[in-house]
Amino acid sequence: MNLIKRLGLTAVGALIAATTVSAAWAESAADRAVKEAQKYKGQTITIVWEAGLQSLDPLNFSGPLWEKLTGMKVKVVEVQTAEMFTKIMQEYRAGTGAYDALNVMPSWMPDLANAGALEPLDAYVDKYGYKDEFQKIAPIYRDNWAKANGKIYGLPDDGDVFIMYFRKDIFEDPKIKDAFKAKTGHDLSVPKTWKEFGETGSALTEILKPQNVYGAAFFRQPPYTMFMFQERFRNEGGKFFDAETMKATINSDIGVKVLTDMRNENKFMPPGVEQWGFVENLAAFMAGQTAMTISWPPYGRWAAGYGTDDKALNWVPKSTVGGKVGYALPPGGHPELAAGFDLSIASTSKNKDAAYLFIQWLNSEDISLQRVKLPTTLRDPFRDSHYTDAGYLALWPDAKDYLKTLKDASLAGIFDLSVLQTDKYEEVLRQAIGKLWAGEDPKAILDAAAGEWDGITKKIGVDKQKAVYADWASKSGAYPK
Amino acid sequence: MTSASPFVLSVIARPPSGRMPDHNFRYWIIAPSVFLLLLIGLFPLIYSLVVSFQQITMTDYDTSFAGLTNYAQLFDDARLWQSIAHTLIITIIALPVELVFGLAMAHLFLERMPGRQIFISLIVLPTVISPVVAGATWRLLFDQRYGPINQVIGWFAGHEVVMLWNITPHLVYPAILICEIWQWTPFMFLILLAALSNVDKSLTEAAELDGAGFWRIFFKIVLPAIWPVMAIAILIRGVDLFRIFDVIWALTSGGPGTMTETISIYTYVQGFQQFESSYTAAIAFLIVGLMSVIVIWAIRRMGLAK
Repeated sequence: MNLIKRLGLTAVGALIAATTVSAAWAESAADRAVKEAQKYKGQTITIVWEAGLQSLDPLNFSGPLWEKLTGMKVKVVEVQTAEMFTKIMQEYRAGTGAYDALNVMPSWMPDLANAGALEPLDAYVDKYGYKDEFQKIAPIYRDNWAKANGKIYGLPDDGDVFIMYFRKDIFEDPKIKDAFKAKTGHDLSVPKTWKEFGETGSALTEILKPQNVYGAAFFRQPPYTMFMFQERFRNEGGKFFDAETMKATINSDIGVKVLTDMRNENKFMPPGVEQWGFVENLAAFMAGQTAMTISWPPYGRWAAGYGTDDKALNWVPKSTVGGKVGYALPPGGHPELAAGFDLSIASTSKNKDAAYLFIQWLNSEDISLQRVKLPTTLRDPFRDSHYTDAGYLALWPDAKDYLKTLKDASLAGIFDLSVLQTDKYEEVLRQAIGKLWAGEDPKAILDAAAGEWDGITKKIGVDKQKAVYADWASKSGAYPK
Repeated sequence: MTSASPFVLSVIARPPSGRMPDHNFRYWIIAPSVFLLLLIGLFPLIYSLVVSFQQITMTDYDTSFAGLTNYAQLFDDARLWQSIAHTLIITIIALPVELVFGLAMAHLFLERMPGRQIFISLIVLPTVISPVVAGATWRLLFDQRYGPINQVIGWFAGHEVVMLWNITPHLVYPAILICEIWQWTPFMFLILLAALSNVDKSLTEAAELDGAGFWRIFFKIVLPAIWPVMAIAILIRGVDLFRIFDVIWALTSGGPGTMTETISIYTYVQGFQQFESSYTAAIAFLIVGLMSVIVIWAIRRMGLAK
């Protein structure tokens, strides 16, 4: 009897324990963060955020909501993109503890982590039960953007990736299709290789020029083209360095071919395209003057007219191509995860737990889904659940195609070179692009650039950089598989 | 009461004992301001000198003594010397053009004419605009897609012209010089107008009566009279041109490549984009040295030290 009684009591106990545990697991990462953060009611955390549209998220949405839920205040320090790395490093060096949480570009991670400016987050992820939701971030971002030296330093928070946008009405127009076939001898289709892109763009320009429409246009200013070079160079089979010697190999035949092709493509793009930045290219596409372009995800939303009535987006040209835009992976099939943002914690923060809870909450499934749907704040889908969310799929008629393309991109994307002092290498590439547009010889440009890369590597230390490069190159998104 | 009477001043100045204060007292009075000036002027200079002998970068805070490494690097840095050459090219072209245009305009406005004051105010307007705004405005004016300049050239040419002013090698320097000369010729104009207004008219009139021509009067009477003021204007603009940054940054960012990178832009890039703090300090001392030699030479050559 005693035994039965004891067994019965044990069973009841186990049931209660199981109920409690399952209740705890049923709680989302966002709920858990809110509950834990309530201990810090009345405190303020300071977060560095990119100035402009990006920061409307914490200023107008997530910051006030977090305060309402936890009683914690969020102070947003808006910093221009070009100054974010400097500010973060300066505050770290000065040891001011002025920043608690940070928006960090993944390509800065090796520098910031090795300098000690970022707090490793593994312990916090475990402590606050974020492992499961962290795993549900799209693998390309989770596996490539979060870690340095095997530790988590950032929560990938922005699915920045280059997508090709094309005019469906042009690609499906029977007259244009006939004219294209007559001109090229093959059917008109969205290009899958850069060779096809050159042929298609050139032929479409010839056919559509009388209507003031060009086959394609890109943002060609060096900071943007630098990313496109990284993408195309690797799609064509190029490697940045010889992994053994760390000698730069950007001046290979592949590099020369990419630069040569890029300059040749300008001939069928609108005059002066070399001067175009993000806005000029957007304006031309929205005005229906280009049949194809490549850019970050916001182009797709704005071209569909999503959110462009918002006051914050009154600078965005009104779309004349709504409902006519198709989405595809750029030629080569491995789009660049260009730039992007992680959420990190400053190692000098005096309020690390509270800051971590805020970024966990921001990054969680529930809250991130709301944030990527904000029309104005430029955060792009980065979780598997974002790509299949019913609410997002219903935002505009072609949203399903848009999200499918973003998901495809998340499976095939390649991420920016991220080594020690990445920006120095990138600066050399930016200058190389400038020289290319100025008419210099591609081979000479890349030989000089490779020489500069070697100089940078030598100064940093070949062995030191070799180890960091090996870590980067071992990641799934470093080179197309 | 708007001024103190001598009686009040004497009461204030006289110490209670009736004796005059210690002569050192005046030094004590100025000591705080001197200390402050040293703190904000001399300390950074000394600190920069110290940093220039270290190996500090943004990611590596190595404060150990590195000897003359950074200074030796200056001699191997082709980009640095190219940037100095670019600076000199801009200075050598812009300075004489601004001087000649400024002088010509000043001469034109010397005579009384209807609306003179209004015209002078309008001409001087560019100098009150921030150089970075001027650069950004000219960048828009030169823009292929939105700028009016290429449009106007196109009207004359009878067809659309493609001139990429901030990209094409043979157009970037003209673009920079147009912007620079547009903004700073009025400065020369204003200073030289003031100088010309003070030239003794009786001398020029006497020379005219004696049959001297325009150029003879200019070189023998006007130029010597305005030279001290003109020399100062040349010196100020010369130094300004040597450290030119904003206009070029807004127009070309030093590009294409590094084709229009001046010494100030290169220093900025090294210091605030590449975070080579120690090397940047060495560059800064190179500039200080170069500028000191040039300015001292110029002051002596122009006779300003007399």
